[in-house]
Amino acid sequence: MIDFEEELKKFKPSLEVEDAEDAIYSRDLHDMNDILMEIMREKENAR
Amino acid sequence: MKCYRCGETLGRGKRCPECGADVRLYKRIMFSSNYYYNLGLDRARVRDLTGAVEALEKSLGLNKNNRDARNLLGLVYFEMGETVSALSEWVISRNLDSRDNIATTYLKEVQNNPERLDTINQTIKKYNQALAYCKQDSKDLAIIQLKKVIALNPKLVKAHQLLALLYIEEGRYDRAKKELRVAAKIDEGNTLTLRYMKEVNDRLKVNGGNKKPKKDDILTYQSGTETIIMPRTFVEMSTTHTIINLIIGIVLGIAVSVFLIMPGLRSKDVSSVNNTLKEVNETLATKESTIASLEAQIEEIQGTLDDANKSIEDSDTKLNSYKMLITAYNYVVNDDLENAGNALASVNTDDLSDDMKALYESLNASVSEQYIVALYESGYSAYNSSNDATAIEALSKVVALEEDYEDGNALFYLGQAYRRSGDLENAVNYFKRFVELHPGTQRASTAQSYINQYEASAGTTTTGTTTDDSSTTTTDAATTDNGTATDGEAGQQ
Repeated sequence: MIDFEEELKKFKPSLEVEDAEDAIYSRDLHDMNDILMEIMREKENAR
Repeated sequence: MKCYRCGETLGRGKRCPECGADVRLYKRIMFSSNYYYNLGLDRARVRDLTGAVEALEKSLGLNKNNRDARNLLGLVYFEMGETVSALSEWVISRNLDSRDNIATTYLKEVQNNPERLDTINQTIKKYNQALAYCKQDSKDLAIIQLKKVIALNPKLVKAHQLLALLYIEEGRYDRAKKELRVAAKIDEGNTLTLRYMKEVNDRLKVNGGNKKPKKDDILTYQSGTETIIMPRTFVEMSTTHTIINLIIGIVLGIAVSVFLIMPGLRSKDVSSVNNTLKEVNETLATKESTIASLEAQIEEIQGTLDDANKSIEDSDTKLNSYKMLITAYNYVVNDDLENAGNALASVNTDDLSDDMKALYESLNASVSEQYIVALYESGYSAYNSSNDATAIEALSKVVALEEDYEDGNALFYLGQAYRRSGDLENAVNYFKRFVELHPGTQRASTAQSYINQYEASAGTTTTGTTTDDSSTTTTDAATTDNGTATDGEAGQQ
């Protein structure tokens, strides 16, 4: 049984074209590779 | 694959041949990223766009530099109507690696069509507005807005989903199903779409079950190899009800034509006749106005013509007066006073200018005295010569000019001339006038005797007594006496 109010919460406003630039700049682009590099760097520093 | 530390191309070994770094985990991450990219590509090929997005996001989470995965993610977003998300992915892709990047082509295509970009932005704004309407419980407005959004961007899956949700909420499951079908065509693997579809189908099943016809209402029979199923009411209505319906239809048709169509036609005819009458009246009024105008012009022209004719007549009269004045002047110059006087008598002084009036008065003053003398002499001479007609003509003019000329002699001789010519009535009139002007004179008594004779003869004629002989004798005697006396008078003159 679908609950309208609950379903409605799943719909989020779309980004407008004017907001695209801010969205791109604020995007977290860290990937698994970055995390790996960070871990290795910390490990080397610990030595 | 390049070494994450020195950038050297890696081989099959566990370590970098250049820097000796352990690349086992790094390689596993890269392979995983590629695996998810391939998975996303496969899902995109079967239009499981949601699944593709999921796989591609995982691929990029492992390796943000996986350009193909990012570009494909942008393409999938674009296909789903999420244009801003697609642009974001392509921009990031181009910034990470701009060499031979297809993202550059995608971005150029979008940027070179600003109208399309504007439409996309409008679509997004309308979708957000529709969402706001939903949250404000303005479902009707939200439905209208979402229809506009779908008209502008038919691939926006979430707009179809939201519209379907609204239809479900309002119990319009068939419409919801239609929207969900469109959404499923764009994105087949979307779990939200599938879940809503299941719900809609369940509801439709429940509603459809209630509408199943009862067995008693259905008539089933075999026609050859086919089984015919039809409602029982259809059979019952097909005979008598058809005729009744036909009759009702005819009656209704007649009623409609009588009460609705005919009055309309009549009013149309009346309106047409009225319009024609109006046009005729207007034409008539215009023509009457034209006739009145023309009549006024005719009257004006007639007046002008009359004035012109009058002016011509006045001019002729004036011209004649001037002509007679000139003629009189010529007679004066030639000492023909009698004709000069005649000519002056024909002049109308009203027609003359002031200068000509002065000339006329000057001529008249010099001529009239001499003229009347000459005229009297001429008349008297004619009288003595027994030329009575000439005497009457001349002496009449003298008397007309001066009645009592020569102490009434002109008047007396004029009466005598008339008496001798047999015109006793005129003769008596002049004698009476003479008696009035010169009573008690010898000639007055003579004139009176002629008057008495005339009146006596007139009375005799009236009573029927024949005294013509004596009267004639008396008259002759008087004539003789008068002739003698005239001579005597002439001698006195």
